[in-house]
Amino acid sequence: MDRGFLLESLRSALEAIKTNKLRSLLTTLGIIIGVTTVISVISVITGLKQKIATSFSSLGANVLYIQKYPWVMGGAGVDWWKIRQRKNLGMEEYKALKEYGSSFTYVAPQISNRFDVKHGDKKVDGVSVDGTTEDFPEIMNQQVKLGRFLSTDDIQYRRDVCVLGNDVATTLFPDENPVGKTVRINGRVFTVIGLLEELGELMGQSMDNVAVIPYTTMTKFTGRRRSLTITVLAEDEDEAREEIRWILRRVRRVKEDEEDDFSINSAGALTRQFNQLTRALFIIMVGIAGISLVVGGIGIMNIMLVSVTERTREIGVRKAIGAKSSEILGQFLLESIMICFVGGFIGILLGFSLTKLISLTGNIPFGMPIWAILLGFGFSFIIGVFFGFYPARKAAALNPVEALRYE
Amino acid sequence: MNKLIEMENVEKAYKLGETEVHALRGLDLTINKGECVSIVGPSGSGKSTIMHIIGCLDVPSFGSYNLEGRDVGEMNDNELADIRKELIGFVFQDFYLMPDVSAWYNVSLPMIYNRIPPRERKERATQLLDSVGLSQRTNHFPNQLSGGERQRVTIARALANNPEIILADEPTGNLDSKTGEGIMQIFNRLHEEGKTIILVTHERYVAERALRKIHLKDGMIEFEE
Repeated sequence: MDRGFLLESLRSALEAIKTNKLRSLLTTLGIIIGVTTVISVISVITGLKQKIATSFSSLGANVLYIQKYPWVMGGAGVDWWKIRQRKNLGMEEYKALKEYGSSFTYVAPQISNRFDVKHGDKKVDGVSVDGTTEDFPEIMNQQVKLGRFLSTDDIQYRRDVCVLGNDVATTLFPDENPVGKTVRINGRVFTVIGLLEELGELMGQSMDNVAVIPYTTMTKFTGRRRSLTITVLAEDEDEAREEIRWILRRVRRVKEDEEDDFSINSAGALTRQFNQLTRALFIIMVGIAGISLVVGGIGIMNIMLVSVTERTREIGVRKAIGAKSSEILGQFLLESIMICFVGGFIGILLGFSLTKLISLTGNIPFGMPIWAILLGFGFSFIIGVFFGFYPARKAAALNPVEALRYE
Repeated sequence: MNKLIEMENVEKAYKLGETEVHALRGLDLTINKGECVSIVGPSGSGKSTIMHIIGCLDVPSFGSYNLEGRDVGEMNDNELADIRKELIGFVFQDFYLMPDVSAWYNVSLPMIYNRIPPRERKERATQLLDSVGLSQRTNHFPNQLSGGERQRVTIARALANNPEIILADEPTGNLDSKTGEGIMQIFNRLHEEGKTIILVTHERYVAERALRKIHLKDGMIEFEE
């Protein structure tokens, strides 16, 4: 296409939009809503996926968390009452897994609590204290930087020893080696035997504000009645899952026709569940966006037909001075595409703002992929061409004599 | 003499609702290059129809029309558009300028369709406006111009692609006689420069300008002066 003609068509299209600002805006409402929906849903899902991915990375790959309750409740046929009635998981289950399990090498029980940790006049609030066993660092992929981790003896003899995370250690012992010193955890005196390697931050929260003590010592605080989390490092997740079910159903005497009375949670299972959820969201989005885009398209067609009628004489004059039918077609098609682009642009801006708002209020990372923006413009373009074609052809087919006579 | 327009037994009929209107009923007309012709007649005599056919906005229903030796009746839409672009300049009674662009842009519009590069377009538009006495008005919008000035812009626009024929439909119809006189002087000059001028009018003083007057009645030539 010739540049001069293209520029003239653009100018004319912008002029038409400018003279009918409100009308153009109302016309594009459907497209605005459609594009806003597409953009914000894609962006929010992208952000959620990022968040989930980073959160899951701290759960560890191939780590199974055997717990009383599932992480995500949902789906048809879930009997909440029955889940509430489940027996606690205790040492019996842990020991059975450790003894009979063959598809995994490391098993550790875990009870977590938040306690204050003190040394002298220094104090750290709300430290995440894990009561566990010697397998814990292997499963959680944690390294000991200084000193040593818990030993089997520490656990067997319920020793008051602890391994500190980096944050706790640097706050309580700013310029001395903490190993061998004592701290008070929840009022009880513990000897520091080791220091954990730094893990850094995840989602704005430090992963180093932790302390690890023997599982057996933890029960001094919590008693023996609290349900355990049993963590397992599996080689093959599905295989391990089956074996764990087989063992635990026997230990817990679950009848043949009854469902499991425990849950095996993992990052992988959570990801699958999340993906199912986002797929449903995507389908809903496609529905909403599709409907509003079609409605928007019909609006565009309607307004373009009005525009063609209003400018019948202009079309006649253009033809009289030498415009070809194809050039009139191009001009009106471009106008319809421009209107759709305006709608698409507003939709993208609104989608951007909405995503920003959701990410701020919902603490979700902001992720607006470039392809979502391109998709927004792509939709606008297709709607503009598809619904603008009929009016543009009507304009192009006008008889010049009748168009000039039109009052 | 160089024959530019040759019409033989041209008829034009169109439907107006249920009734068929015969606007032209067998019209023979030859116009040579460089002539100045006026076409006069009462309303309904077929003046406008003959205008549209000469200007290639419409084609005859019957009979033949040759323009520069080419048969217009055989042409498709695109060829007709090319003829209008290159050979014909229209001057309308109601000017029909684009209201949202300046005078020079209005003049350059036909050149856009003729794929003239932007710089040349602007230059030529300014030149043409200068030649119709509007050198001080190039950036004015149509609603900032008087009727006579608007008609001058229209004439400049008609001349944009340097056409052979200027077709004017009641060019002074909306102007007072003094302003109309000024417009007619421009047509005179153009005629002297060698353009073929065809004026459709019912105003005497306009018709008198032409060397040749064709009187139409009921879709046929009544007589010529």
